[in-house]
Amino acid sequence: MNTQPVIAVQSLKKTYDKVEAVKGIDFQVAEGEVFGLLGPNGAGKTSTIEILEGLRPRTGGNATVLGFDPDRQKQQLKDRIGVCLQATNLPAKMRVQEALELFGSFYTRSISSEQLLKRLQLWEKRAAFYETLSGGQKQRLALALALVNDPQLLFLDEPTTGLDPQIRLEIHGLIEEMKSEKRTVVLTTHYIEEAERLCDRVAIIDEGKIVAMGTPRELQQQSKGQSRIDIICGQPMNAATLPQWPDAVESKLSEDGKSLTVHSSRPARTLFEIMKWLDQQGMQLEDVHLKRPTLEDVFVELTGKRLRD
Amino acid sequence: MKQYLAIIAMDIKLALRLRAVIFFNYLFPLFFFFGFATFLGRSDRIGGMVYVVTMSITFGVLGSGFFGAGIRAIQERELGILRRYKVTPITPLPLLVGSMVTGWIIFIPYIVLMLLMAHFIYQMPMPAHMFQLLVFISLGLIAFRSLGLVIASVANTMQEGTILVQLCYFPMIFLSGATIPEEVFKGVIKILHNFMPATYLVRGMRNMMLHGQGLLEKENLAAAGVMILTILGGGLISMKLFRWEKEEKIRGRAKLWVLVVLLPFIVLGALQWLHNK
Repeated sequence: MNTQPVIAVQSLKKTYDKVEAVKGIDFQVAEGEVFGLLGPNGAGKTSTIEILEGLRPRTGGNATVLGFDPDRQKQQLKDRIGVCLQATNLPAKMRVQEALELFGSFYTRSISSEQLLKRLQLWEKRAAFYETLSGGQKQRLALALALVNDPQLLFLDEPTTGLDPQIRLEIHGLIEEMKSEKRTVVLTTHYIEEAERLCDRVAIIDEGKIVAMGTPRELQQQSKGQSRIDIICGQPMNAATLPQWPDAVESKLSEDGKSLTVHSSRPARTLFEIMKWLDQQGMQLEDVHLKRPTLEDVFVELTGKRLRD
Repeated sequence: MKQYLAIIAMDIKLALRLRAVIFFNYLFPLFFFFGFATFLGRSDRIGGMVYVVTMSITFGVLGSGFFGAGIRAIQERELGILRRYKVTPITPLPLLVGSMVTGWIIFIPYIVLMLLMAHFIYQMPMPAHMFQLLVFISLGLIAFRSLGLVIASVANTMQEGTILVQLCYFPMIFLSGATIPEEVFKGVIKILHNFMPATYLVRGMRNMMLHGQGLLEKENLAAAGVMILTILGGGLISMKLFRWEKEEKIRGRAKLWVLVVLLPFIVLGALQWLHNK
């Protein structure tokens, strides 16, 4: 197995006139990994990804992508990667299959348009003009265009922004397929659930700097925030008999006594103790929920901002 | 080569699917052709019809260059279409060559159609050197498409592009002798007439159609040479200034590149002016 990183970035900087969009970031992406850049609008995600795609020159630092320097070996690099841009368009009167065949002709290697159309559920729309496609179909076509050269590395820049939840789920399914094919994917997003569901590792980026990096679970565990345990019972619990749960920071019983909420820094241990107590009391458990801190909580803790600010 | 062929084939398909292209390339010049041919074609059959044909062809050439190549390139950049091409390994060259070749492939049948109609409906004699005439018109068409692409390269917005196109298009329509006969121009207007690039296209076509001249006659050869220089200069400058995204702005003084492309015509105009003096 190749141990060389597919992407290696050191002290990467990008300045537009006097604005520093990327302020010296470092990260590596391994082969077959889905790596997410998570951050609010204007955080520097798109600048970073566009430098790596060979679309913009960097102001400082080093970057290699598939062994190529994105500044100096643009054409070779572009021939090997797939890119799904945040905002793009095609001529209104271009048909779906024509677009795939045209873009396929730009690469030294391409896969059949028929295969791609079937895979991305666009076969029925192959003769449709671009202007007649829905938002989801246009995004599926953008993904098909990104796959037309059968790339081992894909850059997906906010692939689901502006799409409705149903279509977003469809796109998530397609990205999971790419992941199962062992393609390396770099994904930028400001949707938490997207990063949590799809990414092996996430870098949280804010004001041009990486403020945290790791697997979604590692980042959640780094959080100082507590998990929340919700317990619902068939009979009311007696507030006077409730014990002090281990590691619980706060507990609250509802007015009817049937619902208990406990905030804990070690939720597994706390939950075990609650279950034991309920059993001893002969209470009938109806429902239980455990909510861990999300990446959004981690982001708020680290930056003091919300992701969609 | 695969890229070039694919782009040209796609551009032709797209052009033929757009009503505006059909209208401005075929219907609009044909409207002028039939309109003027009805009146002028009767009075002085040969001279009148040559005047009508050259006017209609000049309309088509200028429309194809400024609107077909220039404005369309700006539109594609503003709509984010060129941005999609930017992420692929292609360079601007296949796109620019594709635009030139597509414009030529779409326009040449129109010229042949017009010459045939002038001949069979209005009894205009066929040009003595048909092939040389088509080569001359082709050079004019590609030169003006090249100029259109330079305008697209230096315009930051559609608004700027439209202003630059109008500044070039209307003087060339009215001062080149295509619509108003050059014999009526006097004084400053006569001087300006000599500096209009379209003047040499109109004059060359009329020399070849009315006087039976070939492409190798001194005046026509000079005009063809200037057009070739414009094609080369315009091509190089379009490549150098090519922008894939509307966010990539160009400095104001870069607009002077338009004058650089027009330089061969300016020199030719100056020589003509000195000669007249």
